[in-house]
Amino acid sequence: MRRRVLLNVGVPILSLLLVLGLWQLIVVGFHVASYIAPRPREAITSVTSQWSTLWPLILGTIRETIYGYVIGAVLGFALGVVMAKIAVIQRLIYPVILVSQAVPVIALAPVLVIILGFGIVPKIVIVTWIVFFPVTVNVLDGLGHVDPDLKNLARVYGASRWRTFVQIEVPASTTPLFSGLKIGAIYAVTGAIIGELAASEGNSLALYQEHANSNLNTAAVYGTTMVMTLIGIAWFLLVVGLEVWSTPWQRRSVARRRWRRGADGPAE
Amino acid sequence: MPTTLLELREVGKTFGDTVALAPTSLGIEEGSFVAIVGPSGCGKSTLFNVIAGLLAPDGGQVVLRGSTITATTGHVGYMLQKDLLVPWRTVEDNITMATRLTRRVTDEDRAEARRVARQYGLGEFLRHYPSALSGGMRQRVAFMRTLVTHQELLLLDEPFGALDAQTRLEMQEWLLRVWKDTGRTVLFITHDVDESIFLSDRIVVMSPRPGRVVADLANPLSRPRGIHTLLEPDFIALKAKVLGLLHGGDA
Repeated sequence: MRRRVLLNVGVPILSLLLVLGLWQLIVVGFHVASYIAPRPREAITSVTSQWSTLWPLILGTIRETIYGYVIGAVLGFALGVVMAKIAVIQRLIYPVILVSQAVPVIALAPVLVIILGFGIVPKIVIVTWIVFFPVTVNVLDGLGHVDPDLKNLARVYGASRWRTFVQIEVPASTTPLFSGLKIGAIYAVTGAIIGELAASEGNSLALYQEHANSNLNTAAVYGTTMVMTLIGIAWFLLVVGLEVWSTPWQRRSVARRRWRRGADGPAE
Repeated sequence: MPTTLLELREVGKTFGDTVALAPTSLGIEEGSFVAIVGPSGCGKSTLFNVIAGLLAPDGGQVVLRGSTITATTGHVGYMLQKDLLVPWRTVEDNITMATRLTRRVTDEDRAEARRVARQYGLGEFLRHYPSALSGGMRQRVAFMRTLVTHQELLLLDEPFGALDAQTRLEMQEWLLRVWKDTGRTVLFITHDVDESIFLSDRIVVMSPRPGRVVADLANPLSRPRGIHTLLEPDFIALKAKVLGLLHGGDA
């Protein structure tokens, strides 16, 4: 158990520390001027010293990310299901979805701002735009690869299409579903930042960074980037946590004790 | 006079130009254990899929206890060589899976699953996920899932085909025990002649191109059966006969 924690938590943290170490080494070793690249410590201090200013901006970015992500995940799942179930709709929607993803989101963002204004809505739309695609593709793929024998067995038992879907098809697709959700999670913050940049008005993490950039405050530019990255990683880890929690059979050989009353029946 | 549980009346199935199953008539008595033996392509799985309602026959009728069930599902228990346990459910929940697919699982359903599992040697594994079980144990769970559907007729399509010889023999003896206890009617597909003789009251021999029944033999071997059965003269004689039918007189 302790070994597993070390492997799953210790080693990844070590790898991040190595990146910071490498950064430090390069900056110091090559005498890089601090307006080009600050030392890790300077970047971190630029964040901690401005924490009271940054925290509301961080919360704003997190809010955009969460709303956009949840909507994108639900929409992506629903689209995947509808497309998997109805061939005509799949043929109809697939090209549109592909085009939607081929359009560079950066180019699209200003247009959305023009249409939807400077508020939170265009940012949410961009995050949704980015998140739904990997979810849809993976759900479509997962539902398409459910063992046909298993579906036949459900038919033999007289199962309705709905029960077969809920009891067999969805749980059989959890692995690809979470692949889509994880890919979406890591890109979601990027979407929120693109939206903030495009708005070019109001208070946001992206604009704070742009402001720091125009003031030649390179440390703050790096620091803000680190903050954005951390939001993305935290969100990704949350989704991984959800996956671990909801798919115990992938790691355990015996089920956890059930909370449902009476599930274990009378004692022997 | 025993009652006929299942009756096939001139049931046939063609896929394109291939006659998978020539029009076949067959009666299965209540409580009997009937083995269907034949090489691949003899239409035995097609026959099962028609009885289970997964395939609509080109003609004919499937009659279960007097009512026509042709091309309708939900009337029989069904088990394949693949155990088809779902990895995300425990042994107990896999046993109740058939119920879960048609209605809400009650405490009684769960209690029954636990009782059956304990009775037939899986009581310690109720909370295990299938990934933790051996092939033989997984097939037992699959069989219990079939059993608790309370269908009178169980269709078993080479359920032990993927098991090693030792486990297979254990599973055959186990199956006979459960069959005797529960009094169900079993239709058992296999390509293993020894298995068909060891288990059955009656052996239906099928042959390919076109898939059809070529012989319907009574099995005279007494019960209970065990390893000693495999050495009895009647066993050898029946085996010679079936092999002869399967290999066109070479035996």
